[in-house]
Amino acid sequence: MSKLKLFAQESWLLLVSSFVFGLLIAVTNAALSGRIELNKSAKLNELTRTLLPDAETFKPVEAQIEVTLPGGTKETAQVFEALSADKQRVGWSFRAYGSGFADTIELVVAVDGGFQKMMGYSVLASSETPGFGDQIKNDYFRSQFVNAPAGPLTLAKTGDPAAIDSQIVAISGATVTSTAVVGIFNAFLVQIKDQMTEKGLIGHVSQ
Amino acid sequence: MSASNGSSPYSAALLSGLWKENPTFRLLIGLCPPLAVTAAVKPALTMGLSVIFVLVCSNLVVSLMRNLLKPHLRIIMFTVTIATFVTICDLFLKAFTPTMSEILGAYVPLIIVNCLIIFRAEACASKSGLVVSILDAIGMGTGFTLALCVLASIRELLATGRVFEIQVMPDAFVPWLALQMPVGAFVTLGLLLGLIAALTRKKGA
Repeated sequence: MSKLKLFAQESWLLLVSSFVFGLLIAVTNAALSGRIELNKSAKLNELTRTLLPDAETFKPVEAQIEVTLPGGTKETAQVFEALSADKQRVGWSFRAYGSGFADTIELVVAVDGGFQKMMGYSVLASSETPGFGDQIKNDYFRSQFVNAPAGPLTLAKTGDPAAIDSQIVAISGATVTSTAVVGIFNAFLVQIKDQMTEKGLIGHVSQ
Repeated sequence: MSASNGSSPYSAALLSGLWKENPTFRLLIGLCPPLAVTAAVKPALTMGLSVIFVLVCSNLVVSLMRNLLKPHLRIIMFTVTIATFVTICDLFLKAFTPTMSEILGAYVPLIIVNCLIIFRAEACASKSGLVVSILDAIGMGTGFTLALCVLASIRELLATGRVFEIQVMPDAFVPWLALQMPVGAFVTLGLLLGLIAALTRKKGA
């Protein structure tokens, strides 16, 4: 009993402060999360337009597409059909994410209308090490994904980054981040493609 | 932060951080942002304002609970307090200035471990009243922001020919791109510190 009393005497301020501060962060997050999501959505559209320059609008795919992440958890994937000004399909885009070296890496990935080849990716959010892991934002690394087959990718420490194939050459000094990006592609791209094929979405032309 | 030379404790708290105890140029503390986010003035100013916000809020809270602090728990209390306000600041930046939040990236959460803030909590807020603590935070934060802006102005001017994204140098100017890189931050800070040391050196010392 005396130990409990001592514990309470010593730590009550820390416990109360932690509760109050946690509440403060929760309230701020609740107030701003809508706006933050809107900003992310605007950025997603902007980035996707750079990957699919002919795209005018992005129509969310209504069918439920579930992705099983490496940890075993299931997430509903956000897939968009990119339509040109005359409502023709010019490609698909989706958000993909996974654990990086420092924090979660969020990507927007674009593929062609037939889901056969990749049009590239852009980084939506990343806290990777400046000068090393954050080179995933640079064209040197990103260009390896452009026109690569939309299927499983492998990571190599050495190779020709200019070759258009399913082998991605890692960033020197950032193997963890490079592995994370390839892992994100393998987790999302293959599962989304399989499920969209099953649901008959690929090959179907939007009205 | 003494009230010597006849100045009031309030003016001493407010003004000492600007020059006499400027955290970057005189005390050489909290040097991560001056090296990391001073490639241009806009991110440097955003970082400076974020540090002022965190510093004022943490000094305010620490000053209010200074009589309740247990000596062996004070550092963890400072850290929890600072981390809370840094998280709030980060959320505000993501909501209202998403581009700047993206440019600053991990350096905003890293304010938590900026020793300037924990230093002011320990040296001033945990021993002073509310008004002195807030004035100290404003003074130190402003001094830190000015230092960031001075460094960023020099680097942006010489690396791009512009300041605050406004063209200043003539078209014939050849940009010194190295100043935009990390080496540019070290060289600029080192030269400025050397210049300040030479200017403030006491004769015969």
